[in-house]
Parts: sequence; C-alpha cells; structure tokens
Amino acid sequence: MLEVNQLSVTYGDLRAVWDASFRVNAGELVAIVGSNGAGKTTTLRAIHGLIPAAGGEIVFDGRRLTGEPSYRRVKEGIALVPEGRRVFPAMSVLENLEIAAFASGARGDLRARLDEVFELFPVMAERRAQHGGTLSGGEQQMLAIARALMARPRLLMLDEPSLGLAPIVVERLYETIGRLREQGLTMLLVEQYVYGALDLADRAYVLETGRITRAGGGRELLRDDYVRKTYLVV
Amino acid sequence: MTPAARGPRQWRGLAIGVIAAGVLLALPGLLTRDLVTALFFAFTFAALALNYDLLGGFLGYLNLGQGTFFGLGAYATFILAKELPAIVARFGLLALAAFAVLAGAITALLAVMVSYPLFRLRGAYFAMGTFGLFLLVRQLTLNLDRLTAGSFGIYLPSGDYVDQRLAYTLMLGLAGASLAINSVISRTRLGIAFHAIRESERAASAIGVDLFRCKQIALVISAIPSALAGCVFGLHFGYVDLESVLGIDKTLFPVIMAMLGGTGLVWGPVVGVALIRVIDVGLKNYLTLPVPALVVYGLILMVIGLFKPEGILAGLGKGR
Amino acid sequence: MSVQTLLELVLGGISLGGIYALMSLALSLALATTNMLNVAHGAFLVMGAALSTFLLRHTRLPWPAGLALFIGFCALVGWLFERVCVRPLLGRAPDRALVGSILITFGFALTFEAALGYYWAKFVDPQPTFSLPVAMPPFALFGVSLSGTRLAILAFVGVAVLLFHLFLTRTPMGKMARALAQDYDGALVLGINPQAVSAAIFTLGILATALSGLFFILASPLGPHDGLRLTLIAMTVIVIGGVGSLPGVLAGGVLLGLGDVFTAFLVGAVWSPVTYVLVFFVVLLLRPEGLAGIRHT
Repeated sequence: MLEVNQLSVTYGDLRAVWDASFRVNAGELVAIVGSNGAGKTTTLRAIHGLIPAAGGEIVFDGRRLTGEPSYRRVKEGIALVPEGRRVFPAMSVLENLEIAAFASGARGDLRARLDEVFELFPVMAERRAQHGGTLSGGEQQMLAIARALMARPRLLMLDEPSLGLAPIVVERLYETIGRLREQGLTMLLVEQYVYGALDLADRAYVLETGRITRAGGGRELLRDDYVRKTYLVV
Repeated sequence: MTPAARGPRQWRGLAIGVIAAGVLLALPGLLTRDLVTALFFAFTFAALALNYDLLGGFLGYLNLGQGTFFGLGAYATFILAKELPAIVARFGLLALAAFAVLAGAITALLAVMVSYPLFRLRGAYFAMGTFGLFLLVRQLTLNLDRLTAGSFGIYLPSGDYVDQRLAYTLMLGLAGASLAINSVISRTRLGIAFHAIRESERAASAIGVDLFRCKQIALVISAIPSALAGCVFGLHFGYVDLESVLGIDKTLFPVIMAMLGGTGLVWGPVVGVALIRVIDVGLKNYLTLPVPALVVYGLILMVIGLFKPEGILAGLGKGR
Repeated sequence: MSVQTLLELVLGGISLGGIYALMSLALSLALATTNMLNVAHGAFLVMGAALSTFLLRHTRLPWPAGLALFIGFCALVGWLFERVCVRPLLGRAPDRALVGSILITFGFALTFEAALGYYWAKFVDPQPTFSLPVAMPPFALFGVSLSGTRLAILAFVGVAVLLFHLFLTRTPMGKMARALAQDYDGALVLGINPQAVSAAIFTLGILATALSGLFFILASPLGPHDGLRLTLIAMTVIVIGGVGSLPGVLAGGVLLGLGDVFTAFLVGAVWSPVTYVLVFFVVLLLRPEGLAGIRHT
C-alpha cells in the first residue's frame, strides 16, 4: 500500500534521513525502530506531508504523493498519531473527535464514526465532555489514536505512542493496537520501545542516524544479535 | 578581516569616499537652487533611511515611526527658540545650533525611555507600536498648542534661517555620518550581535547577547542623526508644522527606501533613496497619474512585500 | 455629574466598546489562525463606513438591497484580500513572512486610504465624511432617557458577537479555525486545510469589521484617514484582553470605549485619540510577562 523509495529529508543543511526505502503492504503492521534522533519522526512527517522530502519518492496505492499538501493526503487515507499526543487541550474530547472528522471530509456519517470509535475506546465515551488537557497521559494517547481513526484511514501511522507512559498503560495501548491489526487496519508503527514494537509487528526495519540498517520479520529481528545488543537490555 | 587584508581595499574605499565627498560638497556652487534643494531632500531621506535600517534591517525590528525622532528634533529646537527669544537674538546661529544639540539629546533620552515598553513587543506588534508612538506624538503636538502652536506651526524670524549652502553641507554630513555609523557597526561585535538577534533571539541570548541593551542602543543611535536632521531641516525652511516635520512621508519613505534598496545592507538604503527620489520627482513634475502619490507608494510597498522583501541590492547578489 | 449624564456616558462607552470588541475579534481570530497581523484591519472598518454611507445616502437603493449589496461586496473584498495578500505568505519562512506581511498590509492601508480620500473628494463630496445619522427615538430606562441610537448599536453589536461566537463553537469551519489557533501543527496533522480556513476567516472577519464600521457611524462620523488609528485601537484591545479570548476582547473593548468617552467628557475631545496609545504602552509596562496572551510571530 505504501512504498517509500530512497527518501531523503533535510532540515536546512542537515540531512536527517538518507535514502530510506521500505514498504508497508495492506493489512500489515510494520514497525520502524531506532533510538532518539534516528529520524523516525522525520520520516513519518515526510510521509504525511508536514515536511517536504528533499529526495526520493513516496507512493501510496500506486500514486506518487510528491508535493501534495497534508490535508490532501489525509483525505486519501493517511492518518498520523503524532509524537507527544498533541490533543487540543482547550477543547473537549468530543470536539477533538469532531474536528478530526470534519478535517478528513466526513459529511453525514459523523455519528457513525463516533460510535465506532467509542466502541473501541469506551473510556473516551465516558470522558467525552472533558477537556483534552485534563486527561491522563494514557487517555490522551487513546484520544490521539481515536482522533486519527475518525478519518477512517487506510494507513494509520503511530509516532512513538508509548513515549512517557507507564508500562501498564503501554501494555493496554499495545493491546488496542493489536486489536486494530486484527480488524485489518494497515499500520506503520515507529518506536523507541523496540521490544514491544518488534514483538507485535509483522515486519520491521531498523533506522539508525537516518539510514535503514536492517529489515526483516518482527520476531526475526527480535532474535537478531545486533538488535539485541544495541536495543534490547538482555 | 585581518588588518593585512584590510589594507588596500580599505584605502581604496576611503579614497573613493573622500573624492565623492569633495564632489558633493562642491555641488552647491555649481548647480541651480532647485537641484540643490532636491539633493538636500535626498540627503535628508538618506539619513532617515539609513537610521531606520539600523533597527529595521540589521536587527529586524521594523520601526514605522522613524519620523517621530525627526519631528521631535525639529519641534524641540523651535520650541526652545520660541521660549528663549532673547538668547536667539543675542547669539543668533550659535544659539540655534546649541538648541539643536539639546533637541538631539532630548530625543535620544526619549528613545531610551520609550524602549522599555516598546521592546516588550516583537514583529508586527512592534511595528504598530512604533507607529502608535508616531501618532501619539502627532496628536500631542496638535493638542499641546500652548507649547507648539498646534496646527499653525512655529516660525522663526527671517534673519535666523540657515542658508542653503550650510543646510546642504550639514545634511550631507548627517547622511554621511549615518552611512559611516551603519558601516562601522556592521563590522564590529555590535553588528554581529545585531545579526544574531535578527536570526534567532533565543540563540543570541543563549550565547550571552544582552538582547534589550542591543535593541535599546540601536534605537538610540538611530534616533540621534534623524533628530539632528529634523533640526537642520526645520532651521533651513524657517518653520515647523505638523505636515512638514511630522508628516507621514518622513516615517514612511525611510521604510520604503530601505526595503526597496536592500534592507540590512549598508548601501541598500542609499540605493533606495536614489530610486524613490527619482520616482517622486517624476511623479510630481512629469507624470500626472489619475491617482494620488500615496497610492503609488502604497502599491510599491505591497509589491516589495509580496515579491522581494529583501530589496533590490540583495537580489543583485551584492554584499555589504 | 448627574445620573443622566453618567448613564449616557456609560452607554456611549459600552456601545463604542462593543464596536471596538467586534472589530478586534475579527483581527484576533485572523491573527490566531494565520499568525499574521493585518495592519490594514482598520481600513476595512473605514471601508464599511464609506460603503454604507455611499449605498444608503448617495444612491437611491432601498435599504434592504443596499444592505445585501454591502454584505456581498465586503465578503468579496475579504476573500480577495486573503487570496492576494495573505495566502502567498502562508507558506513562507517566519521572518520573511513577517516583513512581507507588514509591508503588504501597511502598503494596502495607505493605498486604500489615499485612494478613498482622493476619489471620494473628487466624485462624491469634497469633504469626505462617512456617517449615517439615523434618527432613533430615545429610550426611557429607570426614569432616565437614553440615546436610542446607542442602544440600537449595542443590540446590533451584541447580535453580531453572538453570531461570531456561534460560528466558532457550532460550525465545522469555526471549530477547525479554533483548532488551528490552538495548535497549528497539530491541526495540520489532522488534515485541516489552513488555506480554506484562512479564506473563511478573512471573508467573515472582514465582513464583521466592515459591519462594525457601519455601526460606528450611526453614532459618530469617520474620515478616510482613520484606518490606521483604528487598527491601533484593535491592537490595544487585543493587548488588554489576549488573543482568541472572547470575554477578554469584550472586556478590553468596553474598557477602551469607556476610557474614550470619559476622556472626551472630562478633558476634551481632542484627547481621546491619545488615550488608547497611552493605554497600550501602560499595559505593556504593567505586564511584566510581556504579552503572554499573544502568539509570537
């Protein structure tokens, strides 16, 4: 579904991503893991259209996305759960979700989408009138994912969803992600929490200082010596 | 630049400067009165534009109220002359010169004081704040009519005018001084600090630049020559009133000229002054358009803003 | 000072303040969603004043038609302004966008004022003045007789502010605009189209501003060169009340309106154009945190 070829992204003179190539097939959960500053967020933002790609191409469902602004890509089915949650703090949960629906072009089916999302995240239904800023970290993460789902995306990208969350919350979060995968949603998961991501993913890539250094099945990479030594505290 | 590398280039530049100054100084004897007046105006705006650009171009703080300093200098001089006629009668030109210097000092002091509230603003807010200051001074001038004679203006007895030759020379000196100031600053640590502030205030303060002090210094330095220019301007024509020294042209043209010519570059405002003076003279004497002049200047501003906010000189790739 | 006078002044101040608030709302919203300060904002108020004067006093159009034409024209101007002056700057790097936006909007304000003054004097009336003296009967409240005009203005402004509020809180576009104002990047992530939002905001905002011009001249006249001064007033209101805060803008507007009116009464009308600039600087000095409510460009 998503094909990224030789992607390069620069910040001014600084190259953040070098000739990265990877793919996500329909129905898969692909993980990109790496440490801080590896270029993971940059990659996702380039796919979403928030930052321009300096080189290479991004192909979604056979269509080249070069030059298309973010809002167009969202309408085509790409959704991003950004790093740090980024929910609108002064707006209620319901408003956050509504805006996500409006932004992606929802017309009459706002109610239906809300119901879907509330079924997946009953906590959100409970807290629907609460302001985004008053939610806990885990709840905010759920809201962020719920928001992205309001767009009925074909590809859901998650940027470090486990960041800053307590382990038990992360467990529940990954359960939810697993459920989404079971429902057939194509996902691209970017994480510093290497173990969890590799355990869940169908396939994965390792990103180090902007370059893809390893690729393979999720569980396969878990057993890889280099990965174990560098990223997993064994 | 190392002293060694400075040598030949520096001397050549200085030589050209001296020759140019000499030529310019000789002109009043050679040209008609009208042309000399035209040059006088050009030097006036050159000083204003260069002063404006110190804060506007080097630091990136657009001062839409440069005319305030010009007008304050002029009015302060004339108010002193009006209130102390005996001294003027006794010492004549010397007294007026002293008043002018005093007016310059008063304006500088005002610049110091007003920088405290003003520099709490950034960007477009700062621009509007300086414009607000300009409007305020205009309104106060109108209202405090016991002091300023309101909309009538203050007149000097005719014997005390500054004659054309002297006015020309003084204004040339002020323009030259403004150019020199900008040039020197651009080469010193202060200039580097200014540049750093323009690029990123956070980064600049992280490396130890005293943000407020730099901005204040820039404002005060840009106020003094403009104030003195106002004094010379007023003394040459023998009167000051709201439109002649506090008119919107004195605050607007410096911005246009600096922007058009090349903001942040030492010679940029000079280029801009030349261009705009040509356009202005052309509009007044040769081209009668069905629109008022301000419309043309407003459009010029818009075009610059849309297409080339760095100015012509920057576009030509010339450095400082 | 009699109760009558006091109440008259208060009513005058609040109705004026309401107009200031309405005008400032539009500016504040445009600022929050595009990060650009529109220096020409006051010029649109003058435009509203001029256009309504022209349509309702210098043509023989029946007033519903005139009003409809007014709304259509102003909305169109708002849309065009956004298209020509705002949109090209949306994508640019911050410092270039800033200088560009000041130049463009300041240039626009000058061009507009000069052209308006010139052509109005040439074709309509050599002394350009915009006013709509509508005679309205005085209204008796608690035994005090109050200006019917001012009450009507207050009512109109109240309705306009309410509509604005409803727009922001009930319509999809309004919500997206608020989202963009709260977290620009986060809004982009969701797929909000910043250009569509800015087009809507400017179209509606400039219409609202032009309407406040119409309301303004019901009570006192305006001239073609009042635009920049009015922008300054709007900015002062925002400085006092904070960007994007409706109650804040209302409070700031009313405060300035009352200050304006009381200054004129106590010290003389020539001093009221000075009050807001002084308030502007005083508020700046008194707020040690600078302008916390204002989003920095």
